[in-house]
Amino acid sequence: MLEVKGLSKDFGGLHVIRDLSLSVTAGERRVILGPNGAGKTTLFHLLAGTLKPSKGEIFLDGQPIKAFDAVKRARLGIARSYQKNNLFETLTIRENLMLAAAAALGKSTHMVKDSSRHPDIRQRIDEIAEQVSLADQLDQTVGTASYGNRRQLEVGLALATRPKLLLMDEPTSGVGPTMIDRFHRLLEQLPRDITVLIIEHDMDLAFGVADRITVLNFGEKVFEGTPEDTRGNATVRDIYLGTGGYHA
Amino acid sequence: MFYQTKFRSITLIAALIFLASYASFGSYFAREIVVEIIILAILAISLDLCAGFGGMVSLCHGAIMGVAAYAFAIMSAKLGWPLFPSALIGLLAAVVVSGLVGWVTARTNGIFFIMATLAFGQMAYTFFFKSRWLGGDDGMGGISRFDLSAIGLEMNNSLTFTYLGLGVLLLAYGLTAMVMRSGFGRTLSGIHVNEDRMKALGVNTAAHRAKAMAFSGFIAGLAGLIAAQHTLYISPELLIWTTSGEALIVVILGGLGTLVGPVIGAILLILMKHEISDYTDYWHAFIGLVLIFTVLAGGRGVFGQIEYWLNSLRSRHHDTDNHQTAGKPQGGDHA
Repeated sequence: MLEVKGLSKDFGGLHVIRDLSLSVTAGERRVILGPNGAGKTTLFHLLAGTLKPSKGEIFLDGQPIKAFDAVKRARLGIARSYQKNNLFETLTIRENLMLAAAAALGKSTHMVKDSSRHPDIRQRIDEIAEQVSLADQLDQTVGTASYGNRRQLEVGLALATRPKLLLMDEPTSGVGPTMIDRFHRLLEQLPRDITVLIIEHDMDLAFGVADRITVLNFGEKVFEGTPEDTRGNATVRDIYLGTGGYHA
Repeated sequence: MFYQTKFRSITLIAALIFLASYASFGSYFAREIVVEIIILAILAISLDLCAGFGGMVSLCHGAIMGVAAYAFAIMSAKLGWPLFPSALIGLLAAVVVSGLVGWVTARTNGIFFIMATLAFGQMAYTFFFKSRWLGGDDGMGGISRFDLSAIGLEMNNSLTFTYLGLGVLLLAYGLTAMVMRSGFGRTLSGIHVNEDRMKALGVNTAAHRAKAMAFSGFIAGLAGLIAAQHTLYISPELLIWTTSGEALIVVILGGLGTLVGPVIGAILLILMKHEISDYTDYWHAFIGLVLIFTVLAGGRGVFGQIEYWLNSLRSRHHDTDNHQTAGKPQGGDHA
């Protein structure tokens, strides 16, 4: 479904991603692990089109997409949730989802009908609000919503476009155990027609949802395998988990 | 995001009724004032669309209005086309010029957008100012009035003309409100709030902004047509940047991002101008004070501030009644 070949990204003399190849099958849940500065978020930038790779190729369902900008890739079904909230702060949660739903349903260029009353858009808003547990907070302004709610909305905006490929950058960063459980359930309930790449620091969540795990270090892929293989792998322990055990 | 609330509808209708009565009970001069208000209000609505919803503070809207007026005058007075197709050409010219400005400036924001639109506006101004064929700084006369006698309207009657102008103002408001409530308008607000996220959602934000400018040009063009029909004479004054500046003052005075605010702002500005200039030549200073006060009071503008008070009253009422604040927000939002 997603094929990455020999991908590299340099910032001046700094090699952030080096000769990275990935192959993700349709419906897979792939967790990307790696210490700070390993190039995980940069990889998402390259996949989403917000950064141009220095070298390499990216294929989505066999189609080369390296030349496409972020807008075109989004239209092909790549959605992304951000590590740092990147929301429409002055709008309500409902309006945030409305914008995403309208864009996904091709209504963002329609000039006649009131989009806030459009039945398809309303239905999509309700579905996503249910999915990310925001149904009771819909009329709250994002700027005044709790941090947890904003993290949920972050994922909600990405889901509202009904993506084929969902890139989730640390969806649980900064939230407590209850919220992590909630994300865990959300991920388990996501339909399998969505392929998910997820950067995650919570080990229980990462090992819980992953079909396969890819470990990056200094921009290179140092390991790839099932959660069981990853747990047992000595290199991974050294690089990522440290010698002390499972500490993120 | 824009919502056509009951309060907004009532205020708009009240404003239109006020203007109609002012024109019908007043003298010929009163009707001149009302037409002046209509032209400025339509131009301000067009600017509110860009500045209030799209965050694109344009200083070339006067020029866009002027392009429509000149294109209309060229087609009808110079080339002898019938008035109706000439008017369509006028609107089309405004749409094309505005869309082009929008397209070129689509990747600029803030001060750079303001400066770029100022430059485009002054280019257009200079073009007409220097053009001998179009009368240069003397302007251009010889425009004939629409003949609507077939449907029983005598356009040379100042009252009929004013009523029709009010009809066009309502049309301009209605069209803009419709577009601002639509997916297109809401997406424009989204681009203003967070352009990057809008791109990530698959929206071509540059094209969207250019289209918004083009639509805004259509509305500004309506103002240009009324201006040309009103005096049957046009001059480069229409295009000068202070015309755009005055429209911006009106939008801020009335309430940015409310669409009704610009109408209220235009009424206030023009009435203040005429009332105060009876007593002193320094009426600009008075309007300046009012503007400073509005900005310091929260920048919501006169209409925006009243709407804000009403909303806080309502939500307090809701809280004490322990009601769920369900449904859409009641406006007053600047995005």
